Amino acid sequence: MAPRTVAPFGPQHPVLPEPIQLKITYENEKVVDVVPALGYGHRGIEKACELNEYPKNIHLIERICGICSCIHGISYCETVERLWPMEVPPRAKYLRVIYSEMSRTHSHLLWLGLLCDALGFESMFMQFWRIREKVLDLLEMTSGTRVTHSVSVVGGVRRDIDDEQEKIIIRELREVRQEAEALINVLASDPTVKARTVGKGVLTKEQAILLGTNGPHLRASGVKEDCRMLGMQVYDELGFEPIVETGGDSYARALVRARETLQAIDLQLEAFSKMPKGEIFERPKGRPPANEVSYRSEQCRGECFYYAKGNGTQNLERFRVRTPTFSNIPSLLVMLPGSELADVPVIVLSIDPCISCTER
Amino acid sequence: MIENLKEITKDTLLSEVQKFADAKARFVVTVCNDLGDKLEATYYFNYSPGVEMVALRMVVGKDEEVPSISGIYLCAVLAENEMFEQYGLKVKDIAIDFGGLMLLGNGSPVTPMLKDKAAGGKGGE
Repeated sequence: MAPRTVAPFGPQHPVLPEPIQLKITYENEKVVDVVPALGYGHRGIEKACELNEYPKNIHLIERICGICSCIHGISYCETVERLWPMEVPPRAKYLRVIYSEMSRTHSHLLWLGLLCDALGFESMFMQFWRIREKVLDLLEMTSGTRVTHSVSVVGGVRRDIDDEQEKIIIRELREVRQEAEALINVLASDPTVKARTVGKGVLTKEQAILLGTNGPHLRASGVKEDCRMLGMQVYDELGFEPIVETGGDSYARALVRARETLQAIDLQLEAFSKMPKGEIFERPKGRPPANEVSYRSEQCRGECFYYAKGNGTQNLERFRVRTPTFSNIPSLLVMLPGSELADVPVIVLSIDPCISCTER
Repeated sequence: MIENLKEITKDTLLSEVQKFADAKARFVVTVCNDLGDKLEATYYFNYSPGVEMVALRMVVGKDEEVPSISGIYLCAVLAENEMFEQYGLKVKDIAIDFGGLMLLGNGSPVTPMLKDKAAGGKGGE
């Protein structure tokens, strides 16, 4: 038996935008064991949520993560709204979908760029990030900021999109879609990309389910599971269907996110065409009652679970967030052993890890 | 109100969880709550593909030991470690036991999520 070596992967590594460490044991360049080490960015946000009055938590929740901030804020509001329960105006539901899908578009474009960067495909990396900037500009135009948008409030949304902005957004989104599609076609057919991703980090459908994976990671293993199917927003009115691939490897995970990028733009365009006029906010009556609810939403990186417990005061008794990466990390314990050490960065990146989300 | 919730005890936890594994259900998350003199742990599962979540809930004393479900669902290791270090729920035989140092460090407050611990890094003040 060849000698075994234990090497730290992270917490600082070019493919990791945030700190996590994987203690990798390898033998003859083959990975034989992996143990994750977390705790570099824990902030105690769940505890802090108990101390704030519930409306103020929106700003806190949005700071769980920069990339997922918008959907975190929206999902927090949707969770708290279920405590009463209360309905939000139809236009607000559409606006939430538009903002959510705009976030998904820029998040997936960011990830596609990071994948290219990890593969050494620098020109493609810059192209993906160039068109991502256009989406960030749209978010800035409508919400006033590039990262933490704070568009959602309990009872609806804070900002409407007027007719002039709508025209600009539709025009820009069509351009982004055209450019993204051209880039994705190149990415999906590139022999080097395929050589580095096809058959790498394979997770079968059965493994993906038993390991609790979620989001694009789960759908790339052939499972048609997406929280947008739950019917809690207006996705059912937009003809939403989850995107599924069956390869279960890094390539399949890239394809799911690439196709979801285009789908997210289509969903926004469809939402604009069906969005009714009207109010965007309904003031909550009283305080969150003594009740408890659980809620799931489809974040850019996968299923996000929220739990809220009210006690009749302005503060929540308990708020729990389980983010997508928290559930996707254990799958690395199965995907990495047996793979070449050189493939580790791309396999790790293929789950689109978000560590600030994971640690909260 | 949590839908599809079933009350269990720590003695029936493993047999109940095994039923989900046999039915190819997906483990979603655990939620721990401090009830004062007891802890409440809720385990959520999801039948894939599907939309419904099902939950198992047990209430145990703060000094009681509960079995780990990571022998059935390996993916529960992070959630179980988190329940131990944030709430002090003693989970026995976790597949990967971080010993209270998964998210917290050596100098961190102990079991900071308990109701009698103040936030701000100095538990109990």
